[in-house]
Amino acid sequence: MMLAVCSVWLLLVCLVLYSRLKVAAAAPTCTNGQAGCHVLSLANLFDRVIQHSARMHGISNDLHSEFELYFLPSKNQIGRVSRNCHTSTILTPNGKENAQRMAREELTEVILKLLVAWRDPLWHFHQSLAHNHEFSNFSSNKSLEMSDMVHELRKGVQKVIEKMKMLGIMGNSLGGLGTSESLLAPDSAEWRLMKDYDLLYCFRRDSSKIQNYLKILKCRIVPEHGC
Amino acid sequence: MADVFYPSLLLVLMMSSLDWLSTPGSAFLFDQDRTKSAPLEPHFTECVSRDLETFRCWWSPGSFHNLSSPGALRVFYLKKDPPLSEWKECPEYNHLNRECFFDANHTSVWLPYCVQLRSQNNITYFNEEDCFTVENIVRPDPPVSLNWTLLNVSPSGLSYDVMVSWEPPPSADVQAGWMRIEYEVQYRERNATNWEALEMQPHTQQTIYGLQIGKEYEVHIRCRMQAFTKFGEFSDSIFMQVTEIPSKESTVPLTLILVFGTVGILIVIMLIVISQQQRLMMILLPPVPAPKIKGIDSDLLKKGKLEELNFILNGGSIGGLQTFSSDFFQDEPWVEFIEVDEEDADSGEKEDDQASDTQKLLGPPQPISDHRTIRSSETVRHPNDDFSRAGCYDADLPDTKVPMDAPLPGHTGDKESSADFPERAPAFDRGQAPPVQTQTGTPQTWVNTDFYAQVSNVMPSGGVVLSPGQQLRSQESPSDSELEAQTKGKQRDESEDANGQRQKEPQFQLLVVDPEGSGYTTESNRWQISTPSNSANPGAGYQTIPPPPVETKPAASADANQLPYILPDSPQLVAPVADYTVVQELDTHHSLLLDPTPIQSPPPCPSQLPLKPQIPVEYITPDLLGNLLP
Repeated sequence: MMLAVCSVWLLLVCLVLYSRLKVAAAAPTCTNGQAGCHVLSLANLFDRVIQHSARMHGISNDLHSEFELYFLPSKNQIGRVSRNCHTSTILTPNGKENAQRMAREELTEVILKLLVAWRDPLWHFHQSLAHNHEFSNFSSNKSLEMSDMVHELRKGVQKVIEKMKMLGIMGNSLGGLGTSESLLAPDSAEWRLMKDYDLLYCFRRDSSKIQNYLKILKCRIVPEHGC
Repeated sequence: MADVFYPSLLLVLMMSSLDWLSTPGSAFLFDQDRTKSAPLEPHFTECVSRDLETFRCWWSPGSFHNLSSPGALRVFYLKKDPPLSEWKECPEYNHLNRECFFDANHTSVWLPYCVQLRSQNNITYFNEEDCFTVENIVRPDPPVSLNWTLLNVSPSGLSYDVMVSWEPPPSADVQAGWMRIEYEVQYRERNATNWEALEMQPHTQQTIYGLQIGKEYEVHIRCRMQAFTKFGEFSDSIFMQVTEIPSKESTVPLTLILVFGTVGILIVIMLIVISQQQRLMMILLPPVPAPKIKGIDSDLLKKGKLEELNFILNGGSIGGLQTFSSDFFQDEPWVEFIEVDEEDADSGEKEDDQASDTQKLLGPPQPISDHRTIRSSETVRHPNDDFSRAGCYDADLPDTKVPMDAPLPGHTGDKESSADFPERAPAFDRGQAPPVQTQTGTPQTWVNTDFYAQVSNVMPSGGVVLSPGQQLRSQESPSDSELEAQTKGKQRDESEDANGQRQKEPQFQLLVVDPEGSGYTTESNRWQISTPSNSANPGAGYQTIPPPPVETKPAASADANQLPYILPDSPQLVAPVADYTVVQELDTHHSLLLDPTPIQSPPPCPSQLPLKPQIPVEYITPDLLGNLLP
């Protein structure tokens, strides 16, 4: 009697495990265009990443305005010709058509390059803010948040890329994604020469770029969800 | 003081006026000065992009009216694309609006632009502040196609919720994701001045809660790019109004129904509680278990069933109580039984089967018990041993007369002045070792009217005098046995009349004392117990309190008749034998006296009792006690 019960129970457990295994095994067989195939769909991933980038841009905007007020620089620093962001070497599309014409792999690569380029400068920016007692804790916290967000966003974008590769949307022409460090220009130390305010200005611009590129990419790849 | 105050005040006024002069509010003065000195240059009023793909710049000639003609001023821009850095002319003019339009081909986002105005004769009016990047000058168009729908009306009928929905501006390419727009909805009452602004949110619909019925509301929306700061223009307003809706009557009865339902439920609960009160009381306050005796049905313990009880207790069948033990209370293991000792019963007192249990307890007059009682008597010593009533004390008291029966209250034959038991005990001891005699063998059938008996006295021989309120059935037996109501601690002399005297009629009627009845009697009644007819012992029986003859106490008899427990069939005067009596006074020897008035035949020995008026009270209060004390 007991033996029968035990055997039945064991059988049930085995069945459950097997079914779960089957389900798990079925996941990779999602082919291109199969929506809702996985737990997190590509559209969902894109939405998250875009939201993240929007938030990052918001923070950079706030910090930049704060710096403008704080330092009271001359009204419009844009006019300063000498300003040159360290990411200016990265070729980025400057308009909608340009971005749309760009291949998705290129666009993704641009995004990644930008994200990688800003990791170190933002970290150092935060350090300089934290040690400088002129700035409030609020600014220091925001800078830390910004630096973290860049890091998180890069990981998120990499996940999106993996997903796209898995779904077959993107080919493997993206070289060196694993070694994103190689994306950095050799003269990456250029950013150390930039002043804090210029750094913020440049980052504000770049975060806007990232946000827009991601949006375009999403509406190009998974257009049916909220584009 | 005053002369210091006024100059300082003047100084303060002057300084404030100077301050006022230097405030920005006086800028127009400054401008005037500037216009006088430097006319307002042609400048750009604004550069705006609506869709992040194109942008426009508007200029104004300022005060240079000669340059206001179209073509007098030219716009040049500089796009800071790193390799190219030269000024170019505006790609598209709109002189009517003094606007320069940059189309998509000439618009590069994220690149700094600088614009400047040049006049015909190459005078450049350039301002450093006219540099920008396109994404920072975006002001989206207002949304279109606003409309609203009524969501619901509150139950009170006073407010309602509305869902407002719209379309994104057509110029903004939201589809391609190029622009992400968030909207701000504002509303106000028709004639109010302040707008209520709701939170920015990126969806194209918004719920407005808590609008009041009957009022007209105005709603408009504006939008901006997400994570940017510049808002676009407000959309056109829409108006919404919801008129009074006739109140639904269904809500009112609903509340009434709820109220009445609750009240009804409460009433039902109350009725249940009241009807089931007994059961509830049983549950909440369980009754104290009644006494249970092993082998005896508790029913027998109830009033009026002493005969069966006696039968059982006295071993109605062989084995007595044991046989019944298994019959009763089988299911009540917790019942503790009162074990009745049957030693005496088995000692051959079969004739005492009918005897009361008290008799059993007290032990029938037996040699065995005699010894016992004697022994016990020996041991009893009273502190008042020295009490001597030698004069009254009769060592030759007819002990034989003294019924050593335990249940019988000892009445000394005569001349017993000592109320102290121990006083008599030595006498008895001295006198004899009389066997505790029963009432000369007269069978005494004690009818136990109640199971419990009160020990009224302890005989010198060791027997216990009980006063269970038993009624002596057998009238022929010399009722030596007397039931004596006894007060607590009262030492009574158990002078007993001679049995022979009992031959007459029972002078002491054993009363069936109503268990519920009060055992108390008045003092006068109480001493009816004594043998009024015992002429030999007019006051005997109770040394200390010679019982008044009945005839001398007409009132007593009357009282006796009034006593509830007087047996109606007692031929003679029934002395109500009460279980309890009242202490009337203390005698000189600090004995408690029940009846202080030795009015009738004086005892042989001078009564040492102080003649005190009979206190017609039942209880002695402390102050009265003081009166009593000698």
